[in-house]
Amino acid sequence: MRPPTPAPPAVPEPEPVGPSELLPSVEPPTAVEAQPGSAGQLFWRRLRRHRLALISIVVLALLAIACFGAGLFAPYGRDEQNLALGAVGPSWQHWFGTDELGRDQLSRLLYAGQISLEIGLAVALLSTLVGTVIGAVAGYLGRATDQTLMRLTDLFLVVPAVAVLAIALKKFGHDRFTIIWVLAALFWMYVARVVRAQVLSIKEQDYVEAARASGASGAWIIVRHVLPNCVGPIVVNATLSVAAAIVAESTLSFLGFGIQIPATSWGRMLADAEGTVGTSQSYLLYFPGLAILLTVLAVNFLGDGLRDAFDPQRGDA
Amino acid sequence: MHRWLRRAAGLGLSGCALAAVLIPGPAASGLARRVASGGEIVVGAEQEPDCADWIASCAGSSWGVFTMQEQTMPRVFDVVARGRQWVYTPSLLMAGPPVLSTDGGTQVVRYPLNPRAVWSDGAPITSTDFRYTWDQIAHGTDIFDRTGYDRIASVDDSDPHTAVVTFRTSFAGWRQLFGGVYGIYPSHLLQGRDRDNAMKDGYSWSGGPFKVQAWDKGVDVVLVPNPAYWGPRPKASKITFKFLTDTAAEFQAFQGGEINAAYPAPEPDAVRSIKAGLTDASSLVNADTGNIEGLWMNNAVFPLDSVAVRQAIAYSIDRNAIVRLLFGPLGVSGPSNSLNPPILAPYSDQHAFAGYHLDLAKVRQLMTGDGWQRVGGLWQKNGRTAQLTIVSTAADKRRELTEQVLQAQLRRAGFALTVQNRDANTLFGQILPAGSYQLGLYAGVATDLDPGLCTVFCSSNIPTAANGHSGSNYTRTSIPALDPLLQQVDTDNNDATRVQASKAADRILAAQQVALPIDPLPNIAIWSKRVSGVRGDNPVYGMFWNLSQWQLQ
Amino acid sequence: MLNLVGRRALYSVPVILIASFLTFAFVRATFDPTAKLRQSRESASAIRAERVRLGLNKPLVDQYGSWLGRFLRGDWGTSERTHEAVTAQIGRALGNTTQLVVWGVLVAAVIAVGIGVYSALRQYSLLDYTFTGLTFLGLALPPFWFGLIAIEFLAVGPKQWFHLSDPPLFFIGLHSGGGGILDYARHLVLPVMTLTVQIVAGWSRYQRSSMLDVMSSGYIRTARAKGVPRRRVVLRHGLRNALVPLVTVMALDIGALFGGLIITEKIFSVPGMGKLFIDSLLAGDATTLTAWLVVTAAFIVAFNLLADVAYGWLDPRVRVA
Repeated sequence: MRPPTPAPPAVPEPEPVGPSELLPSVEPPTAVEAQPGSAGQLFWRRLRRHRLALISIVVLALLAIACFGAGLFAPYGRDEQNLALGAVGPSWQHWFGTDELGRDQLSRLLYAGQISLEIGLAVALLSTLVGTVIGAVAGYLGRATDQTLMRLTDLFLVVPAVAVLAIALKKFGHDRFTIIWVLAALFWMYVARVVRAQVLSIKEQDYVEAARASGASGAWIIVRHVLPNCVGPIVVNATLSVAAAIVAESTLSFLGFGIQIPATSWGRMLADAEGTVGTSQSYLLYFPGLAILLTVLAVNFLGDGLRDAFDPQRGDA
Repeated sequence: MHRWLRRAAGLGLSGCALAAVLIPGPAASGLARRVASGGEIVVGAEQEPDCADWIASCAGSSWGVFTMQEQTMPRVFDVVARGRQWVYTPSLLMAGPPVLSTDGGTQVVRYPLNPRAVWSDGAPITSTDFRYTWDQIAHGTDIFDRTGYDRIASVDDSDPHTAVVTFRTSFAGWRQLFGGVYGIYPSHLLQGRDRDNAMKDGYSWSGGPFKVQAWDKGVDVVLVPNPAYWGPRPKASKITFKFLTDTAAEFQAFQGGEINAAYPAPEPDAVRSIKAGLTDASSLVNADTGNIEGLWMNNAVFPLDSVAVRQAIAYSIDRNAIVRLLFGPLGVSGPSNSLNPPILAPYSDQHAFAGYHLDLAKVRQLMTGDGWQRVGGLWQKNGRTAQLTIVSTAADKRRELTEQVLQAQLRRAGFALTVQNRDANTLFGQILPAGSYQLGLYAGVATDLDPGLCTVFCSSNIPTAANGHSGSNYTRTSIPALDPLLQQVDTDNNDATRVQASKAADRILAAQQVALPIDPLPNIAIWSKRVSGVRGDNPVYGMFWNLSQWQLQ
Repeated sequence: MLNLVGRRALYSVPVILIASFLTFAFVRATFDPTAKLRQSRESASAIRAERVRLGLNKPLVDQYGSWLGRFLRGDWGTSERTHEAVTAQIGRALGNTTQLVVWGVLVAAVIAVGIGVYSALRQYSLLDYTFTGLTFLGLALPPFWFGLIAIEFLAVGPKQWFHLSDPPLFFIGLHSGGGGILDYARHLVLPVMTLTVQIVAGWSRYQRSSMLDVMSSGYIRTARAKGVPRRRVVLRHGLRNALVPLVTVMALDIGALFGGLIITEKIFSVPGMGKLFIDSLLAGDATTLTAWLVVTAAFIVAFNLLADVAYGWLDPRVRVA
């Protein structure tokens, strides 16, 4: 299981030992100009040009509606068993087939999607929030606070992810809230690092100096001036976290530490169907796998599109 | 420049990798034939034993028995099929059958040893070995299970060819001693040493047809014939037990020829693969085993403290449907109807629980008679709902399927069931002893041909805080009429009365519905057509009971 | 430069110490070392005696202190599961995992750099889009899905379709008894492929992005203007600078791989660190788990340090303190 690959920053990003040494000598391109109004319009225009990202938005929206509206859309109940029927392949009554308990796979896929998407979104939101706050505070305040927070980040980075995850789940239970909290606790560091790097370079800018000179409080400056310029990498990291969280949850379920019955998730369905490779029931394996694949691809393309939209000065805009 | 070097190295390596992929199988197989001819058989092992010290708590896994214990440890009795029953037969270690005498109320057993029986280093197997074995099991630390050995008063080894074992109290299950999954230990090699240290990582001595050549931890165990064995010499020149961690990969390995035989646990993946058919292979399914998977009920907690409720639950479950679902493709029909597994059939009433079948009318009658009312689909009494939780081992697909079916069936009957699976260590080490559960789904396993339900159902064996939670009566069964019967089964050396007591006990257990047996766990054996000599399954020693007869064509 | 390394190393020490304490406390709080005894029906007094022997009744800090002392002296305890010395268990597991890591990283690095460079140079070409698509697939596929399908279609399938006596690629363990180099290679291909797919995706995207940035920077344009041939510009100037951030990311990822191959090892029955972790977790083997977590954390810290050193060495700007 891998934490989200951090969005490659526009410039090589070192891990500075001291506050003022070793900062990148090339300024990161300020993707968003000082006036938010026209920047927003510019953003949307650039995003609209990225066709894959647009398709991804539509796909994700459809998925979300279908899954969270499973109560309306699913033809059967999630746990509706039909032992007499058993496992049959895709047919008119069961578009995606059934499993050995005769449960309709399409319905289960939709209900499972609720859990998977929920975990993905919640982890992304939580880790982004925590990471942004810590990164911004560390970067802005600098010195002692920065050092302490960075050492804290190091501490979290040092733990082997899956291992701690498995043990934590054993201790705190296997419900999806624990999974969300623990996954978020393992992802926030990457956001924090990126945000901190951005803040470090931005805080030397003129307009920040001006705001400080006119007496604005640190928090106000951070929120009003600094963060808006970090939005790019933050958003991209958030989208990548969604994908990483979904894959992480499926890994946990494969090992037996994830979602427990009778709840189910895409990862769980995949893990349950592990033994069907090469048999006539391999459709049990392919549909959940495709669902994960589709979601993760869509999220990644969206992330790509967002990065390009935020940051047109890169060569591949 | 560095990167050119790196590039070149990388390309070179990739080239090698590609070459390895593209060279076709047959051409390369001449070099390193893993599935070799000349009698070298490879068997897939689903679990690696944790240690090879058979009497310690780190052992206790059947695969330890299959891979090493049964082929290297001498024993008094073999378990053999006689018609449709399994019986104890004196092994080649014995010169004649052991003689039991109960004069003056003291039980004494004399074991006449075969003078030709020797260890792999040539030293004879003597009565001193019996004495050493008893001493270790009865008085050692961290022993898995001392049952029986703790009733022995002394072992007389004055005659090296006759072991005389005197019991303190009567023990009817004496045939399981000095054999089974423990075996007899070489005193001349281990006396005075730390036995656990000497054995845990494997040992090179043996008193059986094979000896352990090497145990490459995590990879495989290799057995070779024991040249000093006084019985028939093994036909194969080498047996390798390869450890596989993934059931799906295990079947792929079998199909791919990486292993010649396998003994998979009766999990849904295995059943599915067998149903799909195996090419060039034979398979065997044996439902006459020592395993019963059942629904064990904590008789001490609400609402299971009422017989009516326990019986109602039993009538809510369609056990036939469950067995059909899990093992139908294997040809296993019919649930288990006794808490004694099939191999103990002579001692049990194998139809004791046959009366419990799906009968919702009966459920209604029992529950309303006990003062329950059906409110909103669930039974309620005095404001408390019939909310049940079930615990089982996590990540076990067969048990998860069973639980989900039980959930649906119980819901229909008016009971809400929540699943709370934990890993085996927590389940058996904490939850069951502490009694913090209502329903448990796990298997009772018998490793010998003697009934011994007192350990599991006598009220004196209830784990409590007072005895440090060290009893095995997890269901907290406490039935006054039952205790004396089960104790008699343990101590009565008169077979006829012993059988009567055991059957009577079975009937009480069924009437009180302390636990509900569900399915017999069948043993599944698969082997390639190239392997000859495989003859049936053995409830204690698995398909490997006659490993020395196996040959690879 | 040494100053930089020294300072970073010094910072790492309290981090790993605190991590080890938290690990120790966490494992202590989650697992009961006497659970195994209870399972084997030992008497209450024996269990109590064992608790005293293991020092379980002392305050947590005391327990940590004595554990730390023994750990640093090389006594990592005895596994409750197998009664083996934990050092032996972890040593063996580490040896196997290291093989997978080394080969996987090698292959992944070559492929990632190759894809990254190509995609940057021939941007928007068909191959660029193909590579991008494939790398996305690598990011999105749950690794065990890929592994199982690879076994089916690259090993078992070919054996059946072409009626071979052996599958072309093996998937149980890292070697068969007595096999040679070719046997080893045939065992390695599938697990390394599964492992590589997971990491190459991220690395190649990183490399591509990094290459693009470098290619559009000032000194590259200067070199082109001066008439240096394109290929030389890319490989001599561009690649070297573009590799800098990738090397950093690589080092970080490698550090994490030592404890992260749990899935790959399970599918291919490789007795490595991942399998050791699962076995210990399921058996509640607290002693092995604590040592395992600390060793894995140490690897991550060590490779983090390596990343910083590599970065400092490769990027001259960083050296000028």
